[in-house]
Amino acid sequence: MIEFLGDLFRWFVEHWDGDAGYLVRIWEHVTVSATALAAAIVVALPLGAWLGHTGRGGFAAVSLVNIGRALPSFGIVALALPLTIRLADAVPFIDSGLGFLPTFVALFALALPPIFTNTHAGIRSVDPETVEAARGMGITGTRVLTTVELPIASPIILAGIRIAAVQVVATAPLGALVAYGGLGRFIIDGFAVRDMVQIAAGAVLVALLAVATDVGFSRLERRVVPVGMANARHRRTADVG
Amino acid sequence: MRIRIRNRAVGAILVALALVVSACGDDGSGDGTKEGPTITVSSFNFGESLILGEIYAQVLEANGYPVSRTFNLGSRELVNPALKNGEIDLLVEYTGSLLTFEGGTPTPDPEETYQALVAAVTDAGLVPLAYGPAEDKNGIVVTAETAAALSLSTVSDLAAYNGTLVFGGPPECPERQYCLIGLQEVYGLEFTAFRPLDVGGPLTVAALEGGEIDVALLFTSDGVIAAKGFVLLADDLNLQPAENIVPVTTDEIVAAYGDELAALLDSVTAKITTIELTELNKRYGIDAEDADALAREWLEANGFL
Repeated sequence: MIEFLGDLFRWFVEHWDGDAGYLVRIWEHVTVSATALAAAIVVALPLGAWLGHTGRGGFAAVSLVNIGRALPSFGIVALALPLTIRLADAVPFIDSGLGFLPTFVALFALALPPIFTNTHAGIRSVDPETVEAARGMGITGTRVLTTVELPIASPIILAGIRIAAVQVVATAPLGALVAYGGLGRFIIDGFAVRDMVQIAAGAVLVALLAVATDVGFSRLERRVVPVGMANARHRRTADVG
Repeated sequence: MRIRIRNRAVGAILVALALVVSACGDDGSGDGTKEGPTITVSSFNFGESLILGEIYAQVLEANGYPVSRTFNLGSRELVNPALKNGEIDLLVEYTGSLLTFEGGTPTPDPEETYQALVAAVTDAGLVPLAYGPAEDKNGIVVTAETAAALSLSTVSDLAAYNGTLVFGGPPECPERQYCLIGLQEVYGLEFTAFRPLDVGGPLTVAALEGGEIDVALLFTSDGVIAAKGFVLLADDLNLQPAENIVPVTTDEIVAAYGDELAALLDSVTAKITTIELTELNKRYGIDAEDADALAREWLEANGFL
């Protein structure tokens, strides 16, 4: 065991640089994760907010998204691959249907449900009396959503984004199965040659990156949530306590 | 009190089971069944191995040997220890790969590789029976269009296109002598990139077909090569070692059944050719026929059943 930890330590000293070093792998891992998360936010946040605001089609949308949750990411990678290969053939500016693209599709699908459901639930949970008061002050239509509902719902929405981000970072190693880089390379390649040290190193790096993502987004939440809301949350917690 | 009753019940069940088992044993000896240990036939986790496992299991059954099957066990790292422990008793292996696994260095010469293999595994209690003419090696494959456009027929021909082609194969390929290392050192090839895919499986085939990779590592007896019209480039500098199929059993089985068993299995091994194996693989992998039906048909066609 001590020997293994020694080997692991040596691995971290020896494998940090170069094209297949872990600095490059971390960068690749972050790139695909961040792109997928950003795309999911762009799609799920406006949709969840609008459906929550109007109160229409909410049940159907939530059901649909929850069915999406049941799909394993590995299955999505496998399903996406033939399509992305065909897409790369047809569209000139996409160089490759392997690697980034199928990984992106799976992570995007993984990130949608938590962001959508939290946004939708967050907007629905805004006290109707508050919305009524805003209307009474002459705020109308979309501005109720942007100036009242979204700020009040922001802690729940950001929590959804944080959950999605951590899941995406922890699932991105799957990309190594379809020739993507990222930290999954160490796990998949290590398994192929039964290199336990490399597998453990890859797993440790993925875990550290996932924890760092969680911590980073928690800090962001504290900064972005409006001061009044943050206080409200604290007060509520205090009341319960 | 209750415990004693339960113990008696367990005892009664055990006695009953023993009676049933012994009754089964007695039953068999009357109609030409061989007396001796059950031969557990096993296979790796790919189609060709399943088909070969079935062929040997069925021919043993037909000749009255007690047989059980533990198929689809996994990779060599898993199956090889099971054979040495006696958890399984018969496995169809490949001479070069098994010798490499046992720490030896195979050569392109089948007989030399086989003799080295026998020497390498005897101490572990394994008995390689006679090897057959059928081989399954690493094959360097391109699409028909690529072969025509670049006029490729051998692996050496690829050297003219150094720095322009993308190569795809199993993730362990960059670490293996018979894969990327050998292609670089023996053939002097340089690819623009290596794409880690799967072990001669559907992913590699899809990537080659879709033009994601230009050159792929598949297995020479893979039916998909012919079915998709791929071109297998000749290994003109003999990088790949001999990979003849060889049934491997244990000391225990040989001691129990002797030469008769070896003679039976050797006669089967001698009849399996690479062309037939490729055809069987194609029917299993592409036409989705069952391994046991394919094995039975082959045995019938060759007069073993």
